[in-house]
Amino acid sequence: MQYSHFNASIIAANRFGYGAKSTDNVKQNIDAKAWLKSGLIAPDFDNSLPTSISLRQQLYEYQQQRKKAKKQGKELSKEQKSFPRQTYIRFIDDSFTQVVNADHTIQWRLLDFFSNHFSVTAQSNVLNVLAPTLEREAIAPNLFGNFEDLLVAVVKHPAMLLYLNNERSFGPNSKMGKRGKGLNENLAREILELHTLGVNGGYTQQDVIELAKGITGWSIAYPAKEPDQGFVFREKGHEPGSRKLLSRTYKKGGVEQGELMLKDIAQHASTRHFICKKLASHFVSDNPPKSLLDKLEVTWQKTNGNIKQVMTTLIDAEESWSASLQKYKTPRDFVLSSMRLLPNNKYKGRQVQQVLKQLGQAPFKAGSPAGFADTEADWMGANAVMTRIDLAMNVASRFKANAEQLLATALSNTVSELTYLSVVRAESRKQATAMLLLSPEFQRR
Amino acid sequence: MNRRDFLKFSGASLVLWPSASALATTAVVKPKKLVFVMLRGALDSLHTIIPVNDKALHQHRPKLVAVAEKKALSLNTQFALHPSLQTLHRWYRQKTMLPIVAVGSGYDARSHFDGQDFLESGLNKIDHDTGWLGRAIDIQRKSGLAVSQTTPIVFRSAKDVNTWYPTNLKSADEDIYNDLINLYQNDPKLLTKLQEGMETKALVGSKNDKKKNQDKFVSLARSCGQLLNTKGGPDCAMLELGGWDTHNNQANRLTRKLAELDNGLNALESALKETWNDTVVVIATEFGRTVRENGTGGTDHGTASCMFVAGGAVKGGKVLGEWPGLAPEQLFENRDLQPTSSAFSWMSALLSEHWQMSPDQLAKVFPGNSPYPARLLKSYAILN
Repeated sequence: MQYSHFNASIIAANRFGYGAKSTDNVKQNIDAKAWLKSGLIAPDFDNSLPTSISLRQQLYEYQQQRKKAKKQGKELSKEQKSFPRQTYIRFIDDSFTQVVNADHTIQWRLLDFFSNHFSVTAQSNVLNVLAPTLEREAIAPNLFGNFEDLLVAVVKHPAMLLYLNNERSFGPNSKMGKRGKGLNENLAREILELHTLGVNGGYTQQDVIELAKGITGWSIAYPAKEPDQGFVFREKGHEPGSRKLLSRTYKKGGVEQGELMLKDIAQHASTRHFICKKLASHFVSDNPPKSLLDKLEVTWQKTNGNIKQVMTTLIDAEESWSASLQKYKTPRDFVLSSMRLLPNNKYKGRQVQQVLKQLGQAPFKAGSPAGFADTEADWMGANAVMTRIDLAMNVASRFKANAEQLLATALSNTVSELTYLSVVRAESRKQATAMLLLSPEFQRR
Repeated sequence: MNRRDFLKFSGASLVLWPSASALATTAVVKPKKLVFVMLRGALDSLHTIIPVNDKALHQHRPKLVAVAEKKALSLNTQFALHPSLQTLHRWYRQKTMLPIVAVGSGYDARSHFDGQDFLESGLNKIDHDTGWLGRAIDIQRKSGLAVSQTTPIVFRSAKDVNTWYPTNLKSADEDIYNDLINLYQNDPKLLTKLQEGMETKALVGSKNDKKKNQDKFVSLARSCGQLLNTKGGPDCAMLELGGWDTHNNQANRLTRKLAELDNGLNALESALKETWNDTVVVIATEFGRTVRENGTGGTDHGTASCMFVAGGAVKGGKVLGEWPGLAPEQLFENRDLQPTSSAFSWMSALLSEHWQMSPDQLAKVFPGNSPYPARLLKSYAILN
């Protein structure tokens, strides 16, 4: 399947971002590459939303109230009870609002990529509240810096520490270890397997244990005692002595031990290979050409894993501009690009959450630290295709859109005659909008 | 129908119908509710109220009767109810149900649509603009409710009639799938998945739809009862249930279908609560089916069928109607059950007793069919 005509601005909008907005003018002859590069800036969120530190404080109060109520044999009020879920919805609402209204979306696609790469599942009250803060506090500020800084920021974030149980992982020979606290390998293993080297990246079980020991004491604040802190390093829980990871020795202890270990694995060849391939697979094709991967890896190596530089290389590479539609949109991609395209799209975070849940990709609910899958084979199931049809019909019935105009905005001259005719000859406006959203050219990118 | 829809509707009904207090001149008058249940498609009466003692039955339908008779629910020495009709049987034992055998409307051909129109008109001819229940409520200044998407003939010409049907049972728009098959002709992967999805939907859908349809009548009957029971709600209602045209596989189909009807009636009774004691339910069908079973385990269009009159107001517990017999010479045109009484005269008698309608009024409702001088209801027995 490929676009019927090559059009750099259409590829730029759809392959690198979340597509055109209804209000966008279709610009021919713009320098698509320069335009994309100008979008490589940290994504902006609504800064009035609470931070993970203040949310942990609120969670603490919420838990105190719940305990108190339980003692008195009462229940929390509806409003009190809904705090975790309401918070989760507020964050989703904000990120969708930002994406739907943004002029550039390449940085949002990249943010979503790393947010999914460092997936934290909102699987409890605490994580419903904290999971959405990871991308805001740890990923967005480091999105165009070096991967090692991104990695350290993510691993130190309370959401990740809690999700993978490191907040109570203490060295067996530390003071706290001698009082019976022990080591938890969970976070260290997922860092090596999922976040950096990859499952066949050349590490051993001993490496897992060493990294786990290196980040012992990496914990989170007690809201009652340490109200203004998020990450807390508990020296008394850190395993004393030197570590040996991937045949390198780390003599220096303290929090620096873990930091150095993380920076080194971030620079490792396996990590470079793993992330560059995953990135190209996300943006360009389920099976990216080796020539493209080589280009990305060369830049990564030259720049110590600078993500902005790697993205610039991705934009400049001719392999990224094939007229073939090699990616099938994930549900998130499909919903976001539809929302951007449809005019006057009034929606609520709760509705978006429900729709994505039906399509199998509720935000922060991947259900595993591996995150959501990203290939056509994962998302193009028969039932999923049918659900998208239901959704498109439902959405289309709520907008009195001029489908022909939207088609031009979204796909310009890349659209096939078949799709064009199917849209303009549809028996109703509703049908026309649905046909546009369901067309191969809109479902693929 | 879900609860929210019901609340939405019942909220609206308060506006549609004047409140009870505005209508009631004396607070002690109990609402005499009437529910007409129309079975579209011609119910086979011999499979429903089985004449167990008629020896000819086994000769006419050796296969069918064997199935139906097995666990039949005894009414008296002559008749038994199909085992699916647990609620009707319970009512019979509680003496609040009257089965009436060998009933006809007077319609003498065998077209479903004409037969139904004839039964709804009540005029001994087909008139698409006026129905017997509509005329009755106009005379009585009562109000009616049709649980259907459009006003059925039985209510037409009435001033105060509403229709209601839940909106969430709408069928899906199938056109889009054909358009998409066309749209995906150059994208074989999407096309394959779409076709797989459509196949699955057809498979699962039909199963789900079957279940949904079985639940549908129960849900409609329950809603009907709730609406009748609403303050200022309608005085009468019409429910309809199709699927009785059993030319093949009759035994299985009627086992399911009669259970669906019976469950719906049970739901209606529950929803009406105490109002049930002042309610009369009439169940009728356009005509009956052939006495002899056909070659595909079914029966074909016939003449006389049966009726049921039930409800807390009914003085029941016996089988009404004269049995014409099933010997070949006793059959109508040597194929159908011979009608021995008129559905309209039974219904006329009910209106006379339930709503105290005068002979003159009844003559306008059912011209040419005067009420039988029967004692069908408890109140009548007390009054006289």
